[in-house]
Amino acid sequence: MDFKIIPSTCSYCGTGCGVLFQVMDGRLVDTLPMKTHPVNQGRLCIKGWNLHEHVISEKRLKSPLIKKDGELQETTWDEAIKTAADGLKAVIKDHGPDSVAVLASAKITNEENYLVQKFARAVVGTNNVDHCARL
Amino acid sequence: MQEQIKQWLEQGDIDIFLGYKMIQGHPLPYCFTKENPDDLKDLIVGNARYSLEKMATKIAAEHKELKIGLLTRDCNQRALNVLYIWNQLNPENIKTIGVNCCPSNLKEHGDCSYLEPELIPPIKKMIGIDNNMQVKAAEQFNQKERFNRWMYEFQKCIKCYGCRDICPVCFCKECSLEHTDLIATGGIPPEVPIFHLVRAVHMGGRCIDCGLCEDACPVDIPLRLLYRKVNEIVTDIFDYTTGTRADQSPFNMLGEEVTLKPKPI
Ligand code: SF4
Ligand code: SF4
Ligand code: SF4
Ligand code: SF4
Repeated sequence: MDFKIIPSTCSYCGTGCGVLFQVMDGRLVDTLPMKTHPVNQGRLCIKGWNLHEHVISEKRLKSPLIKKDGELQETTWDEAIKTAADGLKAVIKDHGPDSVAVLASAKITNEENYLVQKFARAVVGTNNVDHCARL
Repeated sequence: MQEQIKQWLEQGDIDIFLGYKMIQGHPLPYCFTKENPDDLKDLIVGNARYSLEKMATKIAAEHKELKIGLLTRDCNQRALNVLYIWNQLNPENIKTIGVNCCPSNLKEHGDCSYLEPELIPPIKKMIGIDNNMQVKAAEQFNQKERFNRWMYEFQKCIKCYGCRDICPVCFCKECSLEHTDLIATGGIPPEVPIFHLVRAVHMGGRCIDCGLCEDACPVDIPLRLLYRKVNEIVTDIFDYTTGTRADQSPFNMLGEEVTLKPKPI
């Protein structure tokens, strides 16, 4: 029997509520709000309360997928990234960098969002940067 | 306290002990085991309460024979009594160490920071319900005003289910609050007041007035007051104060006949 409480931060939105993961016998079983966390002070929204569910979900993707012959098929990260890069390059070549837009996310960190806009401006060459909440 | 727990673990009186430990600057629940008895020197009472008994219930559901020790404040002990009655925990497998609880009129010093009356915003006092109010005072409003004030509180609900999820005595496998025939889905706030009243009815004979639900409610609905009223009715009718005893509750007696004498409401 092994039971652990692991403090973490909710990854669902930019608020950054403090959560506690309950891990039993190596399995993530539940989420609790951290009572002493300065941001949420022991409260969570429904997404935070169910944070463990997307980690243990059966539907969670464990490897990247590429659509081949009209069907999604499992593939390697190398191939997935190459396919995405080739696709983006082709669009930029044919229609110019402003034909690409980047939507940043509430579910990633500030630093990752910084990289997203850097990628758009410095690599793709466009100022089309927006947030997924305005999709 | 540490010595006692260590002894229990070594003698096999308990297999694990649920207490608190400082982790990353926060007092967090911690599971002490006999494999790491030295951890016990870090055991603290902690001023932030969590429902250790709810964790014990979850653990016991998967490890039926496990002997669990836990640190109990008064509220934890009351919740344990209810969990024993409802067969969620086996009292033979539970050992507790009681600790000083909330400061109150009776106790000057408490280890628990709870029950400090919160500052209530003026608007809430004007059109809602003051969370520090007693049942008697809340009953002074005439019916229409009372209804309006409660509806003001209920319509703030963001349907996080936090009140249920944190509650030590909410253990149902299928919860009525998620039953689509009872409460319509898809909107926020949820159907009010039915959402809150369904839960309130369930808290009759279950709620031990720990206040964790109200603590976890992001919109400060005075849930505790609501459930206090419900349990006042239980006490009036059945002469049973929820959480005070571990043997029997008027709500889980089998049989055709009611032996307790009903009192007039
Ligand atoms: S619990 Fe809700 S509000 Fe808090 S970070 Fe997660 S998604 Fe955002
Ligand atoms: S709200 Fe009612 S149905 Fe839901 S878990 Fe609590 S007692 Fe059970
Ligand atoms: S006060 Fe709230 S959390 Fe505590 S037992 Fe009652 S309903 Fe559950
Ligand atoms: S904790 Fe408050 S906001 Fe959340 S479901 Fe319960 S009453 Fe509604």
